Amino acid sequence: MQAMLAFENAPPFAAPLRFFLTAPLFAVLAGLLVAYEGPDIFASRWTPGALAATHLITIGFMLQVMLGALIQILPVVAGANLKRPLAVARSVHVGLSVGVLLLAAGLLSGTPTVLGSAALVLTLTVLLFLVVTIMALIDVPTTSPTIRGIKFALFSLAGVVGLGVVLALGLAYGWPLPLMALADLHAGWGLGGWAGVLLAAMAYVVVPMFQLTPGYPARASWWFPLFMLLMLLLWSLAILADWPLLARLAQLGAALAGIAFAGLTLRLQGKRRRARPDATYRYWQLGLIASIFALFLLSTVAVWPAAADIDGWSLAFGVLLVAGGFLPFITGMLYKIVPFLSWMHLQSSGQAKVPAPAMNKILSEAEMHRQMLAHAAALALLLAAIFFPVWLARPAGLAFAVANGWLWWNLACAIRRYRGHLADIEAALAARLAAQ
Amino acid sequence: MTHPKTPHVVDARYMEPPEPFVATMEMLDRLKDGEKMLLLLFREPHPLYKVLRQNGHDYETELLPDGTFEILISR
Repeated sequence: MQAMLAFENAPPFAAPLRFFLTAPLFAVLAGLLVAYEGPDIFASRWTPGALAATHLITIGFMLQVMLGALIQILPVVAGANLKRPLAVARSVHVGLSVGVLLLAAGLLSGTPTVLGSAALVLTLTVLLFLVVTIMALIDVPTTSPTIRGIKFALFSLAGVVGLGVVLALGLAYGWPLPLMALADLHAGWGLGGWAGVLLAAMAYVVVPMFQLTPGYPARASWWFPLFMLLMLLLWSLAILADWPLLARLAQLGAALAGIAFAGLTLRLQGKRRRARPDATYRYWQLGLIASIFALFLLSTVAVWPAAADIDGWSLAFGVLLVAGGFLPFITGMLYKIVPFLSWMHLQSSGQAKVPAPAMNKILSEAEMHRQMLAHAAALALLLAAIFFPVWLARPAGLAFAVANGWLWWNLACAIRRYRGHLADIEAALAARLAAQ
Repeated sequence: MTHPKTPHVVDARYMEPPEPFVATMEMLDRLKDGEKMLLLLFREPHPLYKVLRQNGHDYETELLPDGTFEILISR
């Protein structure tokens, strides 16, 4: 059966799965932290609690899923095979999990040794991942916008971690650094250069594939990663040379490029051929609309810097882009990837003799839809809590924890069903063998 | 569907995985020696490339402005 051959080189399911199953737990922790800290956490984006919660989400949830998914998907979208994917996955997973807990503890307590340890663990972990992926990608020609996007995103990953280490050590040991400007730049490399470009590179493949839309125009998708990278390099130069106007121009450029990408994706989704909207489609619609609002806020600050001083402006930007944009994009993709990988591994283990169950038997549309409504409610509460923290900070944190706990539950149920079907298939195969 | 490059075309741009892979393999089985087929997709099918190489097929890929990858595969 030739159709089976394509699956032979897929990494073992356990490689990406460990990331997907732990990521929601860090988001639960972030929600509980918001609930525990209460209204004070919404005082500014610089409170220790806000910094810790942000990193629990960006590293604990986003980076976990992104690196886990890359280990799985690099052979499929780039033809790049990682050496020993399971061993790499184990090490990177442990490193990220320990590193983000140390970082959250270090940011909350301000203890220099904890912050330094977090920086060390996270640097070594990301370095290991980068070395392994670069070795896999080094001989891969850049034949598609997706491969180009992945390569540029990996460069940005090095940038965001490098700046993160400088910031963590600067904070720990009181180095005379422009911490706020560097933190903005760190966020720019992380959310724009790494997460944004990687998201676009994956969207070029998964949006047409899973949502049956037209493709992304070749020229725009080819130039988007380079344009983002150029904006971030200009922004970095502006910080080094102390040219605030150039920094604002680069921010504006990056924000407008993001809005263009989101607008284009919305237009493509409008032309989709799948009649019924599913949870992934709805999650992406939410993510795209929230991102456009967030990037509009960022553009306004770039043109009119005083806007950043308006109460809640920066927090609204962060909540909209991360909890409103990236988390829905990632969760929407998880809701396709986990049932698809389960089906693929079941199909493969059936050896074309025992059929795999349909994907909706692994995770039903209704389960995903209800969880999505919980996430949308948590997002609305978080946004409202920025303006009414005394009443809403704790309910918003709890709602966010519940929505992500629910995501974990849905994924765990999917895996439990996968294991049940796997046992059934193995039993059916054994019975066939015994009957021969 | 036919195409200037070959009359044997699988337009898999709006198919869900693994349909494009299966349809391509089925068409390759039907081709005669020396014939070529064209696969249209909105992504590069790296797992398929691997199978094509393993089975001794040559292929050439072109990216069109609308984001379509045209993969011309020799029997």
